[in-house]
Amino acid sequence: MNTPEFSLACTESITVRRLLKTPEAVCVRAWLPEADTDNPDWNERTITRIHLGNEFCERLLPEMGILETALADSRFAVSLTLPALSDQGMKRVLPLLASLPHGQEVIVNDWGALRLVRHSYPDLKPSAGRLLCKQIKDPRLPSAEWAGLCPSGIFSDPYAAFLMDYGVSRMEVDIPPYAQAADLFDGKIRLSVHLGYGYVMKGRMCKIGSLNLPPAARFQPGHGCGRECLEYVEHTARPTVSDLRSFQRGNTRFYAHDHDMWNAVRGASHAGRVDRLIIHGDWHEDRRPH
Amino acid sequence: MKIVAPISRIEEIAPLAAAGADELYCSVVSPRWLERFHTSGISRRAFANLPDYADLERAARLADEHGIRLSLALNAQHYSAEQLEAALQIVADFDSLGGAAVIAGDPLLISILSRHSFRLRIHVSSIAGCRNSETAAFYRDLGAHRIIFPRDITLKEMAVMIDRHRDLEFESFVLNDGCVYEEGLCHTIHLPAKLGGPICLDQYQGEFRRLDGQPLSLEEQAALQNNEQDYQNWLWYRFGCGFTMTPAGLPYGPCALCALPEWETVGLHSIKIAGRDAPLARKLKGVEMVNAVRARLDQNPSDIRRFARDIRQTPDHCASGRMCYYPMTLPVRKEEENNLTPDVSEIP
Repeated sequence: MNTPEFSLACTESITVRRLLKTPEAVCVRAWLPEADTDNPDWNERTITRIHLGNEFCERLLPEMGILETALADSRFAVSLTLPALSDQGMKRVLPLLASLPHGQEVIVNDWGALRLVRHSYPDLKPSAGRLLCKQIKDPRLPSAEWAGLCPSGIFSDPYAAFLMDYGVSRMEVDIPPYAQAADLFDGKIRLSVHLGYGYVMKGRMCKIGSLNLPPAARFQPGHGCGRECLEYVEHTARPTVSDLRSFQRGNTRFYAHDHDMWNAVRGASHAGRVDRLIIHGDWHEDRRPH
Repeated sequence: MKIVAPISRIEEIAPLAAAGADELYCSVVSPRWLERFHTSGISRRAFANLPDYADLERAARLADEHGIRLSLALNAQHYSAEQLEAALQIVADFDSLGGAAVIAGDPLLISILSRHSFRLRIHVSSIAGCRNSETAAFYRDLGAHRIIFPRDITLKEMAVMIDRHRDLEFESFVLNDGCVYEEGLCHTIHLPAKLGGPICLDQYQGEFRRLDGQPLSLEEQAALQNNEQDYQNWLWYRFGCGFTMTPAGLPYGPCALCALPEWETVGLHSIKIAGRDAPLARKLKGVEMVNAVRARLDQNPSDIRRFARDIRQTPDHCASGRMCYYPMTLPVRKEEENNLTPDVSEIP
């Protein structure tokens, strides 16, 4: 049986500090959502990597100090996670990239960020984030047939070759509704899977980020915010239908994995198709540890 | 600035050209494609596609007769390897018909197209979400000739990208159709109405909770409720004022007529009217509105904006800013900007 690496995705500095300072926090069991606490082969494993940063908003780039703190702890490898970026966001990323040691992994979620890393930081190792690995992930789909109507090409040889031309040897993916373990296969590109939650759609305008703005300034492109996404989550549901559980965090809608999706990840992991699992330490529906 | 308008039937070509459209775009879903792939998801539209390649051939010929360029949208977010092969054949046929450009959103498709010696050009769809200069360079390196900006970027961001890439053409939305989320990062299907329709129009209900597990205070509840009401109002505008029209039949929906003077100054190449699936009357009104503003671009910018705002004769809607793609064009908004939390462009 293959054993994947476990990484903890941390948007907030406090999550990184908890991981670094609390002995029991290095155990996978401390972070897995409740739905998977009966998974004996994963629960006792150890977190060995930190995904530092947020994939969905450039206002949540990590502070330099916490990046340096994470890099200094030899127990953990660090992957700097970058979101989709504006030109101004791209500028703010430069000092973070410049501070990374040779060979460090950077998760890019923007083709421009990939180009930047390739051209200006060729010693860094880019991986394709899930915003670049597109699949249909509608939590309302009534059947697997619907899911098959818009097939993704991310597990195809041409896509692997395309990524490898840019020096990418790993991609991160979500488990879509109705996915099977066998669906997760490329063979050439190493696969990381986000555990527990998949993202459905991301906006640029942010409802909760507009909370403390004057009405005329709300819901505009590039609007300011008070990072209210760190305080609130919106649980979303259709009143007459039993869909996957979903919620909105910041500008992004997520669904929670159901039992079949957990099984698909387990199957793909055991078969060696997935060699890294990403647990979300704080960017989900409930900040409190599970 | 060129006006780019949508067609879904070849009968629309002549009237749209006469109304002032300089370029047209369309999509095609043939019986052959449907039989092979059991989906119309070749261009993100279940409807409003030309029904067969024969229609595409006639459309290309008619566009040529009217002296306007016809582009073909192959702008799904992603294709399977088999679909890519089939799409490549469609592009080859369109190229041989004299088609002007392919609008593509999948970088892999763009990469494949650029490796062939087609005469037609590659336009990067708004689906590709090109929101920064490095991404524009990425697509230019892949062989793109034009970048269509996604919705929801600022005029300032556009100006920077245009200035940095004078070797590329840029196109921006000017009328109609506003997605709530980023179209290139929305991984849903516009389901049939009985299954919920587009997810942003579906009957979702939300409940806010504090992430620290504490209950919401009364002040928080009131603020969240106020924000939600405002959000619903924004959605109403986003969806064309509840999918209505002015008494004169002019379309509502996101609008950027006031941005034409700034675009003219920064050198935007073309402006796009969305809505392949709209009726011809709406398409025609859209082209006429845009053309009327464009015809005044030699005038003072404030006069042009005043003219643009007077077109619909609905000053309250225009003053709300909620109907604007780029509300920063509103005079009042420039004063308010001084009192706002800084946007990301002002973060040091």
